[in-house]
Amino acid sequence: MAAPSRKERQACWGARDEYWRCLDAHAEDAALCRRLRSSFEASCPQQWIKYFDKRRDYLKFKEKFEAGQFQPSESTTNS
Amino acid sequence: MLLLARGPKAKAWLWLCQLRPPVPPMTPGNEALHMRPRRHFSWQGPPQGPRLRTRLLITALFGAGLGGAWLAARAEKEQRRQQQRTEALRQAAVGQGDFSLLDHQGLTRCKADFRGQWVLMYFGFTHCPDICPDELEKLVQVVQQLEAKPGLPPVQPIFITVDPERDDVAAMARYVREFHPRLLGLTGSVEQVAQASRSYRVYYSAGPKDEDQDYIVDHSIAIYLLNPDGLFTDYYGRGRSAEQIADSVQQHMAAFRSVL
Repeated sequence: MAAPSRKERQACWGARDEYWRCLDAHAEDAALCRRLRSSFEASCPQQWIKYFDKRRDYLKFKEKFEAGQFQPSESTTNS
Repeated sequence: MLLLARGPKAKAWLWLCQLRPPVPPMTPGNEALHMRPRRHFSWQGPPQGPRLRTRLLITALFGAGLGGAWLAARAEKEQRRQQQRTEALRQAAVGQGDFSLLDHQGLTRCKADFRGQWVLMYFGFTHCPDICPDELEKLVQVVQQLEAKPGLPPVQPIFITVDPERDDVAAMARYVREFHPRLLGLTGSVEQVAQASRSYRVYYSAGPKDEDQDYIVDHSIAIYLLNPDGLFTDYYGRGRSAEQIADSVQQHMAAFRSVL
Protein backbone atom coordinates (compact mmCIF):
# COMPACT_ATOMS: atom_id res chain seq x y z
CA MET A 1 0.00 0.00 0.00
CA ALA A 2 1.48 3.31 -1.08
CA ALA A 3 1.78 6.10 1.45
CA PRO A 4 -0.78 8.89 1.07
CA SER A 5 0.29 11.71 -1.24
CA ARG A 6 0.44 15.32 -0.12
CA LYS A 7 -3.08 15.88 -1.48
CA GLU A 8 -4.43 12.83 0.36
CA ARG A 9 -2.69 13.89 3.55
CA GLN A 10 -4.21 17.33 3.37
CA ALA A 11 -7.68 15.93 2.68
CA CYS A 12 -7.29 13.62 5.69
CA TRP A 13 -6.09 16.40 8.00
CA GLY A 14 -8.92 18.66 6.81
CA ALA A 15 -11.56 16.00 7.57
CA ARG A 16 -9.93 15.32 10.94
CA ASP A 17 -9.93 19.01 11.88
CA GLU A 18 -13.61 19.37 10.96
CA TYR A 19 -14.50 16.31 13.03
CA TRP A 20 -12.45 17.58 15.96
CA ARG A 21 -14.07 21.01 15.76
CA CYS A 22 -17.45 19.29 15.93
CA LEU A 23 -16.36 17.34 19.03
CA ASP A 24 -15.14 20.61 20.57
CA ALA A 25 -18.51 22.23 19.87
CA HIS A 26 -20.54 19.32 21.29
CA ALA A 27 -18.55 18.50 24.41
CA GLU A 28 -16.99 15.37 22.89
CA ASP A 29 -20.37 13.83 22.04
CA ALA A 30 -19.43 11.65 19.03
CA ALA A 31 -23.08 10.77 18.34
CA LEU A 32 -23.69 14.36 17.24
CA CYS A 33 -20.72 14.28 14.82
CA ARG A 34 -21.46 11.01 13.02
CA ARG A 35 -21.50 12.54 9.55
CA LEU A 36 -18.12 14.21 10.01
CA ARG A 37 -16.77 11.05 11.59
CA SER A 38 -17.59 9.03 8.49
CA SER A 39 -16.04 11.65 6.22
CA PHE A 40 -12.94 11.56 8.45
CA GLU A 41 -12.86 7.75 8.18
CA ALA A 42 -13.30 7.93 4.41
CA SER A 43 -10.43 10.41 4.00
CA CYS A 44 -7.72 8.74 6.09
CA PRO A 45 -6.03 5.34 6.25
CA GLN A 46 -7.45 3.21 9.06
CA GLN A 47 -4.14 3.24 10.91
CA TRP A 48 -4.09 7.02 10.91
CA ILE A 49 -7.61 7.19 12.31
CA LYS A 50 -6.54 5.05 15.26
CA TYR A 51 -3.51 7.25 15.68
CA PHE A 52 -5.47 10.51 15.50
CA ASP A 53 -8.11 9.22 17.95
CA LYS A 54 -5.36 8.46 20.45
CA ARG A 55 -3.72 11.76 19.69
CA ARG A 56 -6.97 13.62 20.41
CA ASP A 57 -7.28 11.82 23.75
CA TYR A 58 -3.75 12.80 24.56
CA LEU A 59 -4.22 16.42 23.52
CA LYS A 60 -7.41 16.69 25.58
CA PHE A 61 -5.65 15.20 28.57
CA LYS A 62 -2.76 17.58 28.10
CA GLU A 63 -5.11 20.55 27.88
CA LYS A 64 -6.85 19.50 31.08
CA PHE A 65 -3.60 18.77 32.83
CA GLU A 66 -2.10 22.11 31.89
CA ALA A 67 -5.23 23.91 33.02
CA GLY A 68 -4.81 22.18 36.40
CA GLN A 69 -8.17 20.42 36.16
CA PHE A 70 -6.78 16.92 35.98
CA GLN A 71 -7.62 14.68 38.92
CA PRO A 72 -5.91 11.28 38.90
CA SER A 73 -8.65 9.45 40.85
CA GLU A 74 -11.34 10.61 38.46
CA SER A 75 -9.41 9.42 35.43
CA THR A 76 -8.84 5.99 37.00
CA THR A 77 -12.55 5.46 37.58
CA ASN A 78 -13.34 6.67 34.08
CA SER A 79 -10.95 4.33 32.32
CA MET B 1 66.02 47.56 38.43
CA LEU B 2 68.38 47.66 41.37
CA LEU B 3 70.50 50.37 39.77
CA LEU B 4 67.48 52.44 39.11
CA ALA B 5 66.38 52.12 42.67
CA ARG B 6 69.71 53.08 44.14
CA GLY B 7 69.83 56.53 42.56
CA PRO B 8 66.77 58.19 44.12
CA LYS B 9 67.33 56.33 47.37
CA ALA B 10 70.82 57.83 47.83
CA LYS B 11 69.58 61.26 46.90
CA ALA B 12 66.77 60.98 49.37
CA TRP B 13 69.20 60.25 52.22
CA LEU B 14 71.29 63.26 51.31
CA TRP B 15 68.24 65.45 51.31
CA LEU B 16 67.15 64.04 54.62
CA CYS B 17 70.52 64.94 56.25
CA GLN B 18 70.33 68.50 54.99
CA LEU B 19 66.78 69.03 56.09
CA ARG B 20 66.98 67.39 59.49
CA PRO B 21 66.04 70.10 62.00
CA PRO B 22 68.18 70.85 64.99
CA VAL B 23 67.40 68.56 67.91
CA PRO B 24 65.18 70.42 70.32
CA PRO B 25 66.34 70.70 73.88
CA MET B 26 65.29 67.88 76.15
CA THR B 27 62.23 68.81 78.14
CA PRO B 28 60.76 66.82 80.95
CA GLY B 29 57.16 65.80 80.60
CA ASN B 30 55.30 63.37 78.43
CA GLU B 31 53.93 65.98 76.09
CA ALA B 32 57.28 67.03 74.72
CA LEU B 33 58.40 63.42 74.34
CA HIS B 34 55.27 62.64 72.38
CA MET B 35 55.56 65.71 70.25
CA ARG B 36 59.08 64.95 69.08
CA PRO B 37 58.52 61.78 67.18
CA ARG B 38 55.48 63.29 65.56
CA ARG B 39 57.47 66.22 64.25
CA HIS B 40 60.23 63.92 63.29
CA PHE B 41 57.80 61.92 61.14
CA SER B 42 56.38 64.96 59.47
CA TRP B 43 59.89 65.94 58.43
CA GLN B 44 60.71 62.50 57.17
CA GLY B 45 57.50 62.42 55.13
CA PRO B 46 58.55 64.04 51.86
CA PRO B 47 61.77 62.03 51.36
CA GLN B 48 59.82 58.79 51.83
CA GLY B 49 57.68 59.64 48.76
CA PRO B 50 60.11 58.63 46.04
CA ARG B 51 61.16 55.54 48.01
CA LEU B 52 57.60 54.35 48.28
CA ARG B 53 57.01 55.09 44.62
CA THR B 54 60.08 53.06 43.69
CA ARG B 55 58.96 50.15 45.77
CA LEU B 56 55.53 50.31 44.24
CA LEU B 57 57.09 50.45 40.81
CA ILE B 58 59.25 47.41 41.49
CA THR B 59 56.32 45.50 42.89
CA ALA B 60 54.17 46.46 39.93
CA LEU B 61 56.85 45.46 37.43
CA PHE B 62 57.41 42.18 39.23
CA GLY B 63 53.68 41.53 39.34
CA ALA B 64 53.30 42.38 35.68
CA GLY B 65 56.13 39.96 34.89
CA LEU B 66 54.47 37.20 36.87
CA GLY B 67 51.11 37.95 35.30
CA GLY B 68 52.62 37.96 31.84
CA ALA B 69 54.29 34.61 32.44
CA TRP B 70 51.03 33.18 33.73
CA LEU B 71 49.13 34.48 30.71
CA ALA B 72 51.71 33.04 28.35
CA ALA B 73 51.53 29.66 30.08
CA ARG B 74 47.79 29.74 29.93
CA ALA B 75 47.76 30.65 26.24
CA GLU B 76 50.14 27.81 25.50
CA LYS B 77 47.97 25.38 27.43
CA GLU B 78 44.87 26.63 25.64
CA GLN B 79 46.60 26.20 22.29
CA ARG B 80 47.60 22.65 23.19
CA ARG B 81 44.05 21.88 24.25
CA GLN B 82 42.70 23.35 21.02
CA GLN B 83 45.08 21.15 19.02
CA GLN B 84 43.93 18.07 20.90
CA ARG B 85 40.33 19.04 20.35
CA THR B 86 40.87 19.57 16.65
CA GLU B 87 42.55 16.18 16.41
CA ALA B 88 39.66 14.50 18.23
CA LEU B 89 37.17 16.32 16.00
CA ARG B 90 39.07 15.29 12.91
CA GLN B 91 38.93 11.65 13.94
CA ALA B 92 35.24 11.94 14.80
CA ALA B 93 34.47 13.73 11.53
CA VAL B 94 35.77 10.81 9.55
CA GLY B 95 34.50 7.90 11.61
CA GLN B 96 31.35 9.15 13.30
CA GLY B 97 27.87 8.94 11.83
CA ASP B 98 28.84 7.04 8.72
CA PHE B 99 26.22 5.27 6.65
CA SER B 100 25.79 3.50 3.35
CA LEU B 101 22.30 3.89 1.88
CA LEU B 102 20.49 4.20 -1.45
CA ASP B 103 19.14 7.56 -2.52
CA HIS B 104 15.72 7.91 -4.14
CA GLN B 105 17.31 7.43 -7.55
CA GLY B 106 18.94 4.18 -6.55
CA LEU B 107 22.50 5.50 -6.13
CA THR B 108 24.62 4.38 -3.20
CA ARG B 109 25.38 7.26 -0.84
CA CYS B 110 27.65 7.41 2.16
CA LYS B 111 28.48 10.25 4.50
CA ALA B 112 31.70 11.11 2.71
CA ASP B 113 29.64 12.02 -0.40
CA PHE B 114 28.35 15.05 1.47
CA ARG B 115 31.73 16.39 2.50
CA GLY B 116 31.95 20.13 1.86
CA GLN B 117 28.20 20.57 2.26
CA TRP B 118 26.05 21.57 5.17
CA VAL B 119 23.48 18.86 5.73
CA LEU B 120 20.12 18.95 7.51
CA MET B 121 18.93 15.44 8.19
CA TYR B 122 15.64 14.01 9.41
CA PHE B 123 14.65 10.42 10.16
CA GLY B 124 11.03 9.34 9.56
CA PHE B 125 8.79 7.20 7.32
CA THR B 126 6.49 7.92 4.40
CA HIS B 127 3.34 6.46 6.04
CA CYS B 128 3.77 8.86 8.94
CA PRO B 129 0.44 10.50 9.84
CA ASP B 130 1.45 14.00 10.88
CA ILE B 131 4.77 14.57 12.61
CA CYS B 132 7.13 13.58 9.78
CA PRO B 133 5.38 15.66 7.12
CA ASP B 134 5.30 18.60 9.56
CA GLU B 135 8.97 18.26 10.40
CA LEU B 136 9.96 17.81 6.75
CA GLU B 137 7.93 20.87 5.84
CA LYS B 138 9.80 22.77 8.54
CA LEU B 139 13.15 21.46 7.33
CA VAL B 140 12.31 22.62 3.80
CA GLN B 141 11.33 26.05 5.13
CA VAL B 142 14.72 26.31 6.84
CA VAL B 143 16.47 25.43 3.58
CA GLN B 144 14.39 27.99 1.67
CA GLN B 145 15.05 30.71 4.25
CA LEU B 146 18.77 30.04 4.04
CA GLU B 147 18.67 29.90 0.23
CA ALA B 148 17.06 33.34 0.22
CA LYS B 149 20.01 34.87 2.09
CA PRO B 150 22.84 35.85 -0.23
CA GLY B 151 26.36 34.64 0.47
CA LEU B 152 25.42 31.55 2.46
CA PRO B 153 26.61 28.10 1.41
CA PRO B 154 23.85 25.76 0.19
CA VAL B 155 22.31 23.25 2.59
CA GLN B 156 21.51 19.70 1.54
CA PRO B 157 18.24 18.43 3.03
CA ILE B 158 18.14 14.65 3.63
CA PHE B 159 15.28 12.39 4.68
CA ILE B 160 16.26 8.94 5.96
CA THR B 161 13.56 6.34 6.38
CA VAL B 162 13.23 4.20 9.49
CA ASP B 163 10.76 1.95 7.64
CA PRO B 164 12.89 0.20 5.01
CA GLU B 165 10.30 -2.58 4.64
CA ARG B 166 7.83 -0.27 2.90
CA ASP B 167 9.95 2.69 1.89
CA ASP B 168 11.84 1.40 -1.12
CA VAL B 169 13.59 3.63 -3.65
CA ALA B 170 10.37 4.26 -5.64
CA ALA B 171 8.32 5.09 -2.52
CA MET B 172 11.00 7.52 -1.36
CA ALA B 173 11.16 9.17 -4.80
CA ARG B 174 7.38 9.66 -4.76
CA TYR B 175 7.48 11.10 -1.28
CA VAL B 176 10.44 13.49 -1.33
CA ARG B 177 9.56 15.26 -4.59
CA GLU B 178 6.47 16.68 -2.92
CA PHE B 179 8.59 18.60 -0.43
CA HIS B 180 11.62 20.11 -2.13
CA PRO B 181 13.38 19.51 -5.45
CA ARG B 182 16.68 18.96 -3.64
CA LEU B 183 15.36 16.86 -0.75
CA LEU B 184 17.24 13.58 -0.91
CA GLY B 185 15.49 10.44 0.30
CA LEU B 186 17.69 7.67 1.67
CA THR B 187 16.70 4.06 2.25
CA GLY B 188 18.41 0.67 2.25
CA SER B 189 18.27 -2.80 3.67
CA VAL B 190 16.94 -3.34 7.19
CA GLU B 191 20.55 -3.66 8.40
CA GLN B 192 21.77 -0.57 6.58
CA VAL B 193 18.96 1.55 8.00
CA ALA B 194 19.55 0.12 11.47
CA GLN B 195 23.23 0.98 11.22
CA ALA B 196 22.58 4.55 10.02
CA SER B 197 20.01 5.15 12.77
CA ARG B 198 22.35 3.77 15.40
CA SER B 199 25.06 6.18 14.26
CA TYR B 200 22.72 9.08 15.04
CA ARG B 201 21.20 7.54 18.17
CA VAL B 202 17.81 7.42 16.49
CA TYR B 203 15.35 5.06 18.14
CA TYR B 204 12.56 3.49 16.10
CA SER B 205 10.10 0.68 16.58
CA ALA B 206 7.33 -0.49 14.24
CA GLY B 207 3.91 -0.88 15.84
CA PRO B 208 1.46 -3.78 15.28
CA LYS B 209 0.05 -4.33 11.78
CA ASP B 210 -3.67 -3.94 11.12
CA GLU B 211 -5.83 -5.82 8.55
CA ASP B 212 -4.43 -3.62 5.76
CA GLN B 213 -0.89 -4.57 6.85
CA ASP B 214 -0.53 -0.92 7.75
CA TYR B 215 1.43 0.15 10.81
CA ILE B 216 2.89 3.21 12.48
CA VAL B 217 6.57 3.46 13.29
CA ASP B 218 7.39 5.13 16.56
CA HIS B 219 10.68 6.99 16.32
CA SER B 220 12.74 9.81 17.82
CA ILE B 221 12.14 13.19 16.26
CA ALA B 222 15.05 15.51 15.64
CA ILE B 223 16.60 17.41 12.79
CA TYR B 224 20.37 16.98 12.68
CA LEU B 225 22.87 19.48 11.37
CA LEU B 226 26.14 18.20 9.91
CA ASN B 227 28.90 20.63 9.01
CA PRO B 228 30.96 20.43 5.77
CA ASP B 229 33.48 18.17 7.57
CA GLY B 230 30.64 15.73 8.11
CA LEU B 231 30.67 16.38 11.83
CA PHE B 232 27.45 16.29 13.80
CA THR B 233 27.08 19.93 14.85
CA ASP B 234 23.63 20.47 16.32
CA TYR B 235 20.14 19.03 16.52
CA TYR B 236 16.71 20.59 16.69
CA GLY B 237 13.67 19.09 18.38
CA ARG B 238 10.00 19.61 17.55
CA GLY B 239 9.75 22.76 19.62
CA ARG B 240 12.13 24.75 17.44
CA SER B 241 10.61 26.88 14.69
CA ALA B 242 12.01 27.12 11.16
CA GLU B 243 13.25 30.66 11.96
CA GLN B 244 15.06 29.52 15.09
CA ILE B 245 16.73 26.66 13.24
CA ALA B 246 17.74 28.90 10.32
CA ASP B 247 19.30 31.37 12.79
CA SER B 248 21.19 28.62 14.56
CA VAL B 249 22.46 27.13 11.28
CA GLN B 250 23.66 30.56 10.22
CA GLN B 251 25.56 30.99 13.48
CA HIS B 252 27.21 27.62 12.97
CA MET B 253 28.12 28.62 9.43
CA ALA B 254 29.72 31.84 10.66
CA ALA B 255 31.74 30.02 13.33
CA PHE B 256 32.77 27.11 11.13
CA ARG B 257 36.48 26.33 10.64
CA SER B 258 37.29 23.10 8.85
CA VAL B 259 39.43 20.62 10.79
CA LEU B 260 40.13 18.44 7.76
